[in-house]
Amino acid sequence: MSELAIRAENLSKQYRLGTALSRHDTLRDQIMGGLKSAFRRGGRAEQGPETIWALKDVSFEVKPGELVGIIGRNGAGKSTLLKILSRITEPTRGRAEIRGRLGSLLEVGTGFRLELSGRENIYLNGAILGMRKAEIDRKFDEIVAFAEVEPFVDTPVKRYSSGMYARLAFAVAAHLDPDILLIDEVLSVGDLAFQRKCIAHAKRLQERNATVLFVSHNMFAVKAMCNRVIYLSEGEARFDGAPEHVIHLYEQESRLTTAKWAQEMVGPDPARRPIRITEIELLGEDGRPRTVFDYGERMRVRLSFEASERIANPNFCVSFIRSDNVACCNFNMAMDGFTIPFVSGSGTIELSTPPLKLVSELYTAQVMVWDTEFERLYTAQMGRNFHVQDQLLSTHFGVFHEPAEWRWPAGEGRS
Amino acid sequence: MKEPGARPARPRPISGGALPLAEAAPVVVEPRKGFFHLDLPALWEYRELLYFLIWRDVKVRYKQTLIGAAWAVLQPVMTMIIFTAVFGHFAKIPSDGVAYPVFAFTALLPWTYFSQAILGSSSSLVGNAHLISKVYFPRLIVPLAATMTPLVDLLLSFLTLLGLMLWFGIAPTWGVVTLPLFLLLALLTALAVSLWLSALNVRYRDVGYTVPFLVQCWMYASPVAYPVSLVPEQWRLLYGLNPMVGVIEGFRWACLGKAGLDLGVTAMSALAVAVVLAGGLVYFTRMERTFADIV
Repeated sequence: MSELAIRAENLSKQYRLGTALSRHDTLRDQIMGGLKSAFRRGGRAEQGPETIWALKDVSFEVKPGELVGIIGRNGAGKSTLLKILSRITEPTRGRAEIRGRLGSLLEVGTGFRLELSGRENIYLNGAILGMRKAEIDRKFDEIVAFAEVEPFVDTPVKRYSSGMYARLAFAVAAHLDPDILLIDEVLSVGDLAFQRKCIAHAKRLQERNATVLFVSHNMFAVKAMCNRVIYLSEGEARFDGAPEHVIHLYEQESRLTTAKWAQEMVGPDPARRPIRITEIELLGEDGRPRTVFDYGERMRVRLSFEASERIANPNFCVSFIRSDNVACCNFNMAMDGFTIPFVSGSGTIELSTPPLKLVSELYTAQVMVWDTEFERLYTAQMGRNFHVQDQLLSTHFGVFHEPAEWRWPAGEGRS
Repeated sequence: MKEPGARPARPRPISGGALPLAEAAPVVVEPRKGFFHLDLPALWEYRELLYFLIWRDVKVRYKQTLIGAAWAVLQPVMTMIIFTAVFGHFAKIPSDGVAYPVFAFTALLPWTYFSQAILGSSSSLVGNAHLISKVYFPRLIVPLAATMTPLVDLLLSFLTLLGLMLWFGIAPTWGVVTLPLFLLLALLTALAVSLWLSALNVRYRDVGYTVPFLVQCWMYASPVAYPVSLVPEQWRLLYGLNPMVGVIEGFRWACLGKAGLDLGVTAMSALAVAVVLAGGLVYFTRMERTFADIV
């Protein structure tokens, strides 16, 4: 048999929505439920609308030393996959074989206790992650140095700054020396320096032939780190291959969802809002749909809407949100002095952006409809993804880039 | 047989005991079948985590308290004083010829341990939900650690008992060497009950409300404040079905050298523990697979 690090065959996980939603089952509910089903004829209906497949027949093989990115939108089954592979939860069907010492980082600082000191937490967290005491003893000084918390090892971590806390937590995790490492979104927390440390760490692991499975929303981190990407959608592995292809697919499959922050204000169901966006099209200046725009290009955004009631003075807004959740710019009718007396029924609105001077990254268009005072929000939906591409300009250059004018008064400092 | 110029093998980083890929047997992840599954090797492999969880709970318990570990001793001592006043003096409950304070305290030792253990461990899985949903380890470790943590308090109280016996001039007899056996029985009793309660609590939070009441009832059903001799002869064996009867009687016999250990009662208690423990293990390991999903 050839040496594989991971072999997954038809991994499937079914969740009963009932147990997921009513987290605090009580005995009374159970008894009532039992009575109800006793009176309902025909026994129990296991397969029903109350169950969902979080993961459906996912199969793949990973060779030692591979760095595999797993992408997909929220709820696509990425975390479920990692939880099954790390044996936190059992698959409903299928099996997986894992060869080698497995480390999983589904969160940084699992099991940290605020009352305990840094030293105590290193031991506790290390043990939780699966390190032996002798191993922690040996790596202790290294961990403390890596976390840069030497003077505070014996201080309770509740007195730490959040930065120190995160550094310490990561330092412990980084010194776990597994053959296979599963990472879930850990990189999305922390600042840039922290993320660089993480990426450097993953590369180091790879150099010693460790296998890494890396779940992320951040296409660019995936692209920078991984030589292979598995794309999950609705619990199924849609694509497995080179990062460029998969990421392209991901962009295309994006559809409209309600923005998380707005969920309470506008409700989860777009159809019940007075107005909703039915389509967002991102077009080049020639009117063709595009997913990649060059730095400095103009974009045309065409919005289709459906208003179930008459809305006076609707204020359409379009924002571009970078993949790391930085809102980069916003265009809105109110500030541009464009007014519409009212809308009702369905129609379209078009926006031409100025040249996009955004840095090379993945962005999502977010469309909102407010009133002119920005007091009442009618809808807020996240839409299409697009890339801005440029050879040089990355997030290290900030959010946008514009050339500036430089002067050298009187040529001073030439001697 | 090194060839000239052959590159040295890639040095393996020092990592704790990880085997090279080819040598290690693969870990298989699949839906578990069968009625009962107790993975003792995995439990052994994670023994250090067990140690650290106990260590954590002991450390955290008395942080930011004024008198710290003295609480461990104070609680049974206060109970003993109240019992001595209420049951010993007012109610004039017999104490098998031993000074009532010592009589009560000897029983309070295992009793306090037991009540703390089941109060703590019934909520242990729920209390460690963040671990269970984020890291793999044998879930049994959690209630196991929670039932072992109060042993530390028990040890401190035991020193107090020795002092008390010295004060009342009671010399321990050779029977004291059997104390570990009764301690083990107490531990297994606590574990058996904890396995049921902790696993039930994951699904039904009602357990959290029931346990304090259960502990209270259980105490009156155990010979903590009164001697077993008050229980009519013909009911003794049935009474022994409560494992804490066997434990407490054993403690009194081992420490105070009270004549005549009722072996029938002890055996009954041990049998009861065995049954509850076996059932608890089956229930726990069956429920275990869903903990991470519903906790």
